[in-house]
Amino acid sequence: MNMKFVKITSKGTRETFRDRRGFLFLLVFPIFFIAIFSFGFGSGAFQSGSSLPHNIAVVNYDAGTQVVSNNTTRLVNYGDSFTQVLENATLENSSTKLFHLNNVSEEQANEMLRSRSIDALIVVPENFSAAFTSMVNDSARTAITQEVGEQAIASSTVGQNQVASAAVYTNPTGNALPKNVTLPEASNVTATLSIQGDAGYINFDAAQALITTTFGQYQNDVTAKAVANAVSGGDYNPLADYTPTEITPIAGTQSLSLFDYMMPGLIVVAILLQICLVSASLVRDIARGTLDRLKLSTVRAFELLFGTFLAWTLVTIVQVPMLIAVATELGYNYSLSLTSVELAIVIGVIAGMASIALALLIASFAKSEMQALELGAMIVLPVAFLCGAFFPLPQQVIEFWGMTFSVYDVLPWTHAISALQSVLTYGTGLSADVVFQIMWLIVLTAILFVVAVVCYSRERLRLET
Amino acid sequence: MLRVRGAADKYALKTENLTKTIGNLLVVDNLNLEIRRREVFGFLGPNGAGKTTSIKMMIGLVKPTSGRVFFDGAKSGSAVKRRIGVCPQDLAMWDVLTCRENLTFMGDMYGIPPSLLEARVNKLLDLFSLTERADQTAAALSGGVKRRLNIALALVHDPEIVFLDEPSAGLDPQARLLLWEVIRSLRDEEEKTIVLTTHAMEEADALSDRIAIIDHGKLLCIDTPEGLKQTLGKGDIVELQLVDPRMNEKVLALMKSLREIEEAYQLKGKIALRALDATSKLPTIIHSIERAGGGVSDISVRRNSLEDVFVSLTGRALRE
Repeated sequence: MNMKFVKITSKGTRETFRDRRGFLFLLVFPIFFIAIFSFGFGSGAFQSGSSLPHNIAVVNYDAGTQVVSNNTTRLVNYGDSFTQVLENATLENSSTKLFHLNNVSEEQANEMLRSRSIDALIVVPENFSAAFTSMVNDSARTAITQEVGEQAIASSTVGQNQVASAAVYTNPTGNALPKNVTLPEASNVTATLSIQGDAGYINFDAAQALITTTFGQYQNDVTAKAVANAVSGGDYNPLADYTPTEITPIAGTQSLSLFDYMMPGLIVVAILLQICLVSASLVRDIARGTLDRLKLSTVRAFELLFGTFLAWTLVTIVQVPMLIAVATELGYNYSLSLTSVELAIVIGVIAGMASIALALLIASFAKSEMQALELGAMIVLPVAFLCGAFFPLPQQVIEFWGMTFSVYDVLPWTHAISALQSVLTYGTGLSADVVFQIMWLIVLTAILFVVAVVCYSRERLRLET
Repeated sequence: MLRVRGAADKYALKTENLTKTIGNLLVVDNLNLEIRRREVFGFLGPNGAGKTTSIKMMIGLVKPTSGRVFFDGAKSGSAVKRRIGVCPQDLAMWDVLTCRENLTFMGDMYGIPPSLLEARVNKLLDLFSLTERADQTAAALSGGVKRRLNIALALVHDPEIVFLDEPSAGLDPQARLLLWEVIRSLRDEEEKTIVLTTHAMEEADALSDRIAIIDHGKLLCIDTPEGLKQTLGKGDIVELQLVDPRMNEKVLALMKSLREIEEAYQLKGKIALRALDATSKLPTIIHSIERAGGGVSDISVRRNSLEDVFVSLTGRALRE
């Protein structure tokens, strides 16, 4: 049996590897692309460790509030306290600080936001301490009375307490609490901690998330302290001896930089970039008349296209490990597991096959090499954005036969990025989600290939009319 | 030289009312050709005459609007692909492959078994003097060598009919003569039918057994080169030097009266005559002069050229 597609693959591979300039470009350009992005998004090669600490500013207008405890009144300023917490906050088991605080006015801070000199601005309102005290006390009160509720407190024979004027609560249930518990007071004062920033700036998203997490943990810690004080009847000073809790990232993301989060997307963009070169190369076959020679031979359209497809796939098999290796060299903190890397290569190669199929589709309609390059460039960039290679897009869900889909899910590369993130960044291995994403990637690539084969056969291989 | 063929000769290729219209433009108009086995068939026409479209319909790259093509009786289609070899005018090869790899790859695409293919590739390398360059990439070859490889690629599957489109374009005279020898050997030794498209009239004249000229998609004539030159064009030019130049006026008047002579005039003391197939009319001319009391001391004949025939048919020079 004459396996013509094997001969075509062999010929295509020789052509690609012997054209040193083209091959170098095919490999060097994506690497250059990754290097540029790694520089721009703070990989380890260009920064020490990660994109942390975030450069932020805190403008504290908090006037503080009076807190009475054990017949002692003291001025408490939670705004100052939280500012100090932000300044000291570190990653868990690490000395890496989360934030670098800039001591500037609100006007200066706004100017810095506009120039992206800082990632975020926190404005602490004047009544922050009053509102925070109320919130903490309310939380502590709820924690103490969660088994019996306020109604029981109100009907207690010893402690006739109302919500805002509670002093001592007599525990009627005999649970773990002491018999007499001092209930913290709560009021209706509210305030808003404002986190401001440029919504189009990806560093703002990351900084905002960390600020919110830090504030949540600060709030929990202070509440816990308030509960402990109320139960023990000790001196209620929520700021004394307060040790900021370290931030615990989700599993596997310790010390990840923005570059680490973006890397899977960038690998896919680099793979997408080969669309321009592959489509131009396919059109070159038409322009120089070699395609006509093949059309006149007895080779069938499928053999020709499948052989060509495989030849470029071999290039991708070389390209993807190189991209991962270069990204790692530039500071990409991928999950250190050989299985993860092997799996990532498989995902990358399938994504590359989808790119080749798209290149085949472009070559079906491009009339010249230049047009193929132009069409490729016009298509690659929107596709890269739509599949979430640079940043996650808002979900656009459509319903079809009672099932919901995201519109971006029709792009095979969306699944490739998702699978690569799981496998490389979070080190999940071959989880059910990764299998699901890979299955979709394969199915969509196969569909794209079939569409490309049909179009190429119709436009390029059938008789001219 | 006209090759005489017996009744056993069959047509290798026939076209039957082959027509192609593109939009409102009639590119090929009811083309009926019968190309014999083992002949070099010159297919001529000015630029835009419809040659390329006709050839593309014959080889199966362009779908005819109407009409049919038959190869040795079989209708054109995938079954006859193995019987056709095509050498396009533009160099169509894979630049980064060597000569041997180019030929082997094309052989693979025709499904030739490896055992046969190697021998065939070696034979072609030898035939086209490419053996020494077998392992050089096509990109590294000179224009003339590339042209030879371009033709060899059309022959690797040993086709019965070979279409050569401007095969000698860009070749130096030495390489052109070598190519002519190869084309003749393909016909005489390999027994192939060659359809030759060329703008070089001397090439068509030297190689073709028969020539067809088309213009505006229509077949204008089809005959042997000799037949065309004898019947079409302005005719041969005969220059006569009389023994007694004082007889020039009298002989000139006599020549003008002869029906066989198209035109007669004096040129630098000689009498110049123009007539179709003048060579066959020379005895009559000389006899008439002698009867009038004159004598011829020198005769020269410039034969009617194929280019004259072409221009007289199409009304324009070839390379317009």
